Amino acid sequence: MTAIEINKKLIENFGDDIIKTVKAYENELYLEIKPDRIRELSGYINHEMGYPLVSMFANDETSLIGKYAVYYAFADRVSGILLILKIGIEPEQMTFESIAGKVHAAARYEREIKDLFGLNPVGHPNAKRLVFHGNWPRETFPLRKAYDLKHRPDFAKEKINFSKVISAGVFEIPVGPVHAGIIEPGHFRFSVAGEPIINLEAQLYFVHKGIEKLCEGESLEKCLFVAERISGDESFTNAYAYCQAIEKIAGLKIPERAEYIRVVFAELERLTSHLGDLGGICTDVAYGFAASQFKMMRGWAYGIADELCGMRFLRGVNRLGGVRKDFVAGKEASLIRQLKKIRSEFEETEVIIKANSFFIDRVENTGILSAQIAADLNAVGPPARAAGIRSDVRKSFPNRVYRQLSFAIPEHHNGDVNCRMNVKIEECYQAIDLMLAAIDSMPAGRIRESITTVAPYQFAFGMTEAPRGENIHWVMTGENNTIFRYKIRTPSFCNWPALCHAVKGNLVPDFPLINKSFNLSYAGNDL
Amino acid sequence: MSDMILYFIVQTGFVILAAPLVNGIIKKIKALSQKRTGAPVLQMYYDLFKLFKKTSVVSDVSSWIFRVTPYIVFATAVAAAMIVPVTTLIKPVWNTGDVILLVYILALGRFFMMLAALDTGSTFGGMGASREAMISALIEPSILVSLITVGLIAKSTAVFPIMTFMQTVQNPLIHPVYLMIFCALLIVIIAETSRIPVDDPSTHLELTMVHEAMLLEYSGRSLALMELAAAIKQLVFITLLVNLFLPHDQLIGIHGIAAIGISLLIYLAKVFIAALLIGIVEVNTVKLRLFSIPNLAALSFILSFIGFLQFFAFGG
Repeated sequence: MTAIEINKKLIENFGDDIIKTVKAYENELYLEIKPDRIRELSGYINHEMGYPLVSMFANDETSLIGKYAVYYAFADRVSGILLILKIGIEPEQMTFESIAGKVHAAARYEREIKDLFGLNPVGHPNAKRLVFHGNWPRETFPLRKAYDLKHRPDFAKEKINFSKVISAGVFEIPVGPVHAGIIEPGHFRFSVAGEPIINLEAQLYFVHKGIEKLCEGESLEKCLFVAERISGDESFTNAYAYCQAIEKIAGLKIPERAEYIRVVFAELERLTSHLGDLGGICTDVAYGFAASQFKMMRGWAYGIADELCGMRFLRGVNRLGGVRKDFVAGKEASLIRQLKKIRSEFEETEVIIKANSFFIDRVENTGILSAQIAADLNAVGPPARAAGIRSDVRKSFPNRVYRQLSFAIPEHHNGDVNCRMNVKIEECYQAIDLMLAAIDSMPAGRIRESITTVAPYQFAFGMTEAPRGENIHWVMTGENNTIFRYKIRTPSFCNWPALCHAVKGNLVPDFPLINKSFNLSYAGNDL
Repeated sequence: MSDMILYFIVQTGFVILAAPLVNGIIKKIKALSQKRTGAPVLQMYYDLFKLFKKTSVVSDVSSWIFRVTPYIVFATAVAAAMIVPVTTLIKPVWNTGDVILLVYILALGRFFMMLAALDTGSTFGGMGASREAMISALIEPSILVSLITVGLIAKSTAVFPIMTFMQTVQNPLIHPVYLMIFCALLIVIIAETSRIPVDDPSTHLELTMVHEAMLLEYSGRSLALMELAAAIKQLVFITLLVNLFLPHDQLIGIHGIAAIGISLLIYLAKVFIAALLIGIVEVNTVKLRLFSIPNLAALSFILSFIGFLQFFAFGG
């Protein structure tokens, strides 16, 4: 289905509710609709048309149209089209209809909007605070334009309410935010009956840095550096998504060679991330030998990154309109040699771990994420693919390069740690193959187009398949090449609630293993 | 009399001094399997030395149990070391204790360790204590049946006579009864000393810990005592295993102090082999799912029970 056909279909069914078509790119369709009809429309799009809600955010457009706006982005993953519904909210009203009852994935976005904008979702089943903990004063909404970034609010003293499971023999285990290993902060509240977990509630946002607010009013160039620092091990993919959004607004087609170089780096980041995850899975079941094998290979992959761009975490590679330098030229032979070395070591290790029945026993049927829950919560990336959902931005929203290169989405259905591990194993091979193919078919030529002036108050999405899954950034430009609003939705935001479902019924000592197989970023979620 | 003093010195001093070495060897094997150089074999001595110099931090809400437990655990471990002779060439004048005393003196230490873990009221201490209680209850039948079967053959339940008897058996491990008991005891050792696949001694994941979770609140000298006690307990079990099933004292032709020296050297070599064995098991297995540990304990019990039945069917 093309964007025009989707538009036609919606006008046929909901003609009266659609106020106007706001804007349309080739694969983005923005429709402004009547605010009181959002629940029906989103329910129809989600259930009848089968498009998942992939992002949802508010925007303070009082200076532009005198209203707040809420955007609902649905994705047609088959034909690669984003359908965005927009509703306007009058400043004196400050409420909007909650769609969480119909579209479950919306629940967390609505709580986020409530915390950051003070827009109340009416009819939300559980609209408690998400971003802010008890120490942030209520009625202080940082993403409203009127909020001054320099303002330091007073500490409030409010207790956090966790969902309680009340029954004989049910205990609560509080874990974190400070953990025994060197990991990011997050508080987990388990309700357990002995060892089996009945409920898990994750309290995140300990590292909320206000990145979205920080970017507002800053220059487009400067925000690229912020995007690179959203989450340490996803530097490249976040910068990639940001650049794509800006390039789309500017109507710029980047040189083909730059696109190829970006693909090489994106796959290198995926390889590194997956190798780290596989090592982590092995560490968590005390399989020291395999863990150190994967860690060694990860070190090699970091070495490649260092050799290519002088930065193991791949910062400073992207520029708006292309890449900073021709990082690959002259290094092809060394790159191919090292990738083949990783590949052969990886093959050997895979055989060994898959022959270890103790290991397979641990990962099989542990932490099952059902396809239904994955779909309802719009889980993305390896956890979703392990549960049988075929979602991959590289296939559904491909750029020129991914369209040319051939690869297949790994297919697994059980949704357990074993499947997630296998998805990652297959994607490691795939990443190596894609890199080799990209190096092979990379054309010569320019590596950057320059961006001069970008029209104000234009907006577009940038999407990449991060190692953790679908990564969606939305940018609205302001005057003089600045950012008006930057909405970052990393894959971790979607997968955290999925993790909380996947651990139910499992044993407490299996939680670290399940957690590792999801490998979620705290920084990428907390923003 | 001089024998008694010698026995006392060897059983306490020698065992306490040698115990941390076993951990060093196992860690080294694991490091080598991971292409790492690893920590020095003597690392645990350095760690203990450091910990003994440090002050202990004790939670305000804990009671006297928390404070006395390290001493009780250490004392029970040393008492257990007194019962299991490292060499039969030194004859103690009195009977040093039987297998039931051995098992329950260690259980006493464990009991206090679990109480202390609960005492601080921390989350992980409670989890560790409940898991430890489960594992030890499951493993206890197997260790008792194993030792009593050997006792039946030796016609004694006291450890020293059993061990003296075993010195006269030629190659015990080719005998099915002893082989079964050997395998059963090997599983017991792995479970009792908190090793992979039952527990992971080197984990940082507080939710998966068993033994480590109980020690989380300890620091300084108390921690050093607990760690050393765990190492001694480990060596006691290894001593039991190697001296029962790999007897060597009959091989030494000479007598006197020289013989004892040679015997101790051979003993150390056997401990090294046992540590190697445990290290190889650790490298090749992964930690079991917590609720699969009963299967392992059942396997151990079945092995020991088959050994027990074989004794009645075929004799020792």
